[in-house]
Amino acid sequence: MNLKVKTKLVKEISESQNADIEKIKAGNDIIIECKNLNLWYDDNHALKDINMIVKKNKVTAIIGPSGCGKSTLIRSFNRMNDVIEGCKTEGTVEFRGRNIYGNRISAMKIRKYIGMIFQKPNPFPMSIYDNILYGPKIHRMRDKKKLETILKNSLEMAVLWDEVKDRLKDSALGLSGGQQQRLCIARTLAIEPEVILMDEPTSSLDPIATAKIEELINDLKEKYTVIIVTHNMQQAARISDYTAFMYLGELIEFGETEQIFENPQERLTENYITGRFG
Amino acid sequence: MASTTEIYEQDTTEFEIEGAFDTDKLVHLILLMCASLATIVVFFIIFLLFQNAGNFFRKVPLEEFLFDDHWLPTDEEEPQFGAYNIIAGTLLVAFGAMVIAVPLGILTAIFIAEIAPPKISKFLKASVELLSGVPSVVFGFFGLIILNKYIKEVLGAPSGATWLSGSIILAIMALPTIVTVAEDAISSVPMHYREASLAMGATRWQTISKVILPGAISGITAAVILGLGRAIGETMAVLMVTGNNNVFPDPITDIFSPLRTITGTIGIEMGEVPANSLHYRALFALAIVLFLITFIINLTANFIISRFNKKLRGELKSKSRNQILIPEIIKENKKTITYLILSILFGWLLTNIFDIINAVIISLILIGIILVLRIISPFKLEEYKFLIYFYMLFTLLAWVFSTWFDWETAILMCLALAGFIFILKILNPINQQRVVFSIISIAAFISVLSLSIIIYYIVSNGLPAITWEFLTEDSEDSGRAGGIFPMIVGTLWLTVGAIIYAVPIGVAAGIYLSEYAKEGPITKIIRTGIDNLNGTPSIVFGLFGLAFFVLYLDFGISMIAGQLTLALMILPTIIRTTEESVKSIPQSFREGSLALGSTKWQSISKVVLPAAMPGITTGMILGMGRASGETAPILFTAAVFKQKSLPRYVIQPVMALTYHLFVLATSIPDSDTQAAGTALVLLVLVMIMYSFAIYVRNSYQKKKNW
Repeated sequence: MNLKVKTKLVKEISESQNADIEKIKAGNDIIIECKNLNLWYDDNHALKDINMIVKKNKVTAIIGPSGCGKSTLIRSFNRMNDVIEGCKTEGTVEFRGRNIYGNRISAMKIRKYIGMIFQKPNPFPMSIYDNILYGPKIHRMRDKKKLETILKNSLEMAVLWDEVKDRLKDSALGLSGGQQQRLCIARTLAIEPEVILMDEPTSSLDPIATAKIEELINDLKEKYTVIIVTHNMQQAARISDYTAFMYLGELIEFGETEQIFENPQERLTENYITGRFG
Repeated sequence: MASTTEIYEQDTTEFEIEGAFDTDKLVHLILLMCASLATIVVFFIIFLLFQNAGNFFRKVPLEEFLFDDHWLPTDEEEPQFGAYNIIAGTLLVAFGAMVIAVPLGILTAIFIAEIAPPKISKFLKASVELLSGVPSVVFGFFGLIILNKYIKEVLGAPSGATWLSGSIILAIMALPTIVTVAEDAISSVPMHYREASLAMGATRWQTISKVILPGAISGITAAVILGLGRAIGETMAVLMVTGNNNVFPDPITDIFSPLRTITGTIGIEMGEVPANSLHYRALFALAIVLFLITFIINLTANFIISRFNKKLRGELKSKSRNQILIPEIIKENKKTITYLILSILFGWLLTNIFDIINAVIISLILIGIILVLRIISPFKLEEYKFLIYFYMLFTLLAWVFSTWFDWETAILMCLALAGFIFILKILNPINQQRVVFSIISIAAFISVLSLSIIIYYIVSNGLPAITWEFLTEDSEDSGRAGGIFPMIVGTLWLTVGAIIYAVPIGVAAGIYLSEYAKEGPITKIIRTGIDNLNGTPSIVFGLFGLAFFVLYLDFGISMIAGQLTLALMILPTIIRTTEESVKSIPQSFREGSLALGSTKWQSISKVVLPAAMPGITTGMILGMGRASGETAPILFTAAVFKQKSLPRYVIQPVMALTYHLFVLATSIPDSDTQAAGTALVLLVLVMIMYSFAIYVRNSYQKKKNW
């Protein structure tokens, strides 16, 4: 399929999309909703009219070929794109019904509720202990006992406690890649967010470490809402409840994961999932 | 939709910004102010130089100042201020230094980067860096005591204080700068260029000369220009070894002639003139000339370096060259015009150095060669351009040699040299490489040797002076006996003070430039300001300190005036190293912190700065090393030779190791051992700081695993 045909298909799809969303919207457990979200990097129109919802205590996966805007989209859920120079956002992203790009909203506070895990594990060059308590400390938590509890709880939840409990004062950079990524998850859990964004969290890990993280994501669902960007379709199929397929900056199809993978409504989605391009 | 809004509506206020006060904005503002300070200082220096030169140019016409060679500032009836010889002397001594230092420096850089085995290369690199910290007054001391004696006794010059010794000392001082920068440029040529060339069967020398050096050429040029800047702005060493006679070498190749430079003149005379006298203003006028020369040199070097970096990153478009508006006619006939200019220049030189008849003969020979070549082979003139350049070059070389020896020897020497180059050209590549590599190794050996001879001399002559009393007692008999305790204390006080003033501002400015500054006109101005501050000669800082801190703010000759002057001088070093080490911290750390809801300043202060600390520390220690080794900035602002007690307040003057050594070496006879001892203590002090800085940086680079 050549590019022109693809682009044409993309245009037809936009209309049919709203119908999907209405279906999923039923129920009152929506935590994030973006409406007509557009984003530019200087002149590059990276996100085009995205309409999407995220349900509470579910795992939502965003898939699509490289450069389709999936990382950009997930970064706009906690305003991490603010860091990038020349980035302009239009439209709204509502978190608990409040537009996070609205007036008087503090990006820092939003990020306290919507944490993020990055593609490459990025523990700070400090001890494991300081890494975990970095978040609570910058949010002015000073109670020693509480900090200890947070430390243990978050490491346990990230299934890392047993591996590191005897060397909490060691540098976090001495951990293996998989351990580092779980440490980053624990670090995010320590600030008790409501939503955890994960930007290809396993792309730099080996299969065993990946399996551990996937298991962990499944456990996290009980308490948290997870949005995960992945280039690995099997991963999306395995762990997510909802899946969004993006292509060239547009949201092509959004629905329950089962439906997307077994019965995609759009030809583009089908082609991508069956591996005809990507 | 309505339902979600209902559930959460009441508690979304917790996302809101609290109050109107924004720490981040305040921090941003403070950092911007610190960064601007460097730029303001540059403008302020320019302003003060002109302000203090005042009405000088109204009393003395600019033509007289620039083109007259009578410098009689203290003549009571009719003082004269013709600085021609002084300005020419500055340029000549720097030129001579470049003639020695450029080939040696570049060859040494090639040796370190391409030829030496890794271990030797590492060792050489560290030693060269270490040696860049040797204080100029130590070089001057060596030149005055050893080199000048050698030139007088062995080479038979009438006096040891000569242009030659000035140039040799300056060359040795400029070597570390040239080697370090050129080595960086050569090493940063990507590895795959080398592999591509070697894979086609080229020898290593062919790869170096045809691929690597052309790739690194702008970096190497920048190295040369920076070395030139250092040589022109150098004060103490030149002042001590060149004799300071207001003469112009006659003939112009007379390297045994004494010279006088701008920096030397200011260094000697400024201490004795009443403020705001015409003589005082004349010295500031000289400083303006010096500042302008170094300013132009710095701008050129920075322009070339930024082009080089763009080229390495592949950002340089070939279009950019055409953006400069050059008329089409000139563009099309570029080569013809180049030849025309060259031959006019050559002709002018000929008529200047020979009489007309000889000049005509030489030109006729050249034309004859070209004609013969055209007749015997149908190639274009292009093919012979090297031959023609060679002819021009060797004519001049022969003339230079002829002023030193007789004509026959000169021509013979030139022919031998030309023959050698010719043979080298026709050798097969492998033998050619052998010859060239030996030459390069010898050059590297000479560079290292010259630096080690100085160190060896200082150590071997200084050691006998070192006793417990020498280190802990005050000096006696004008420094001929006793110790140097107050000078050590003074130097430490000056250094610590400079660091205390410079570090907060420098680190803040470095953080601003790396974390907050957006590329735009303001950032560009700030960066240019810092770069120029970095290349400003230390004596200009001295004058600034004198005019502003000592006279205008009325601190008098005092410790605080010296500390502030030194602080300004080391500010650029600290800004640069901070900026670089903060920039080298991966973006993922900042994102990780921001994603946890930290403010920008929290992520900088809690994550980025601790990680960048070793780099910042390195800059700080380098700054300390530089501050403790400098003489010129404290010459008129803080230092005195003899004082009853240690300074108890910052408004008292201090004694300092550098100044003590300077006075001992130049004005106190029979104090050689004491002077060598002082030089050794100074050298050890500075070397400790430098090696500590290099150690911190290297171990940090090794440990870094993100």
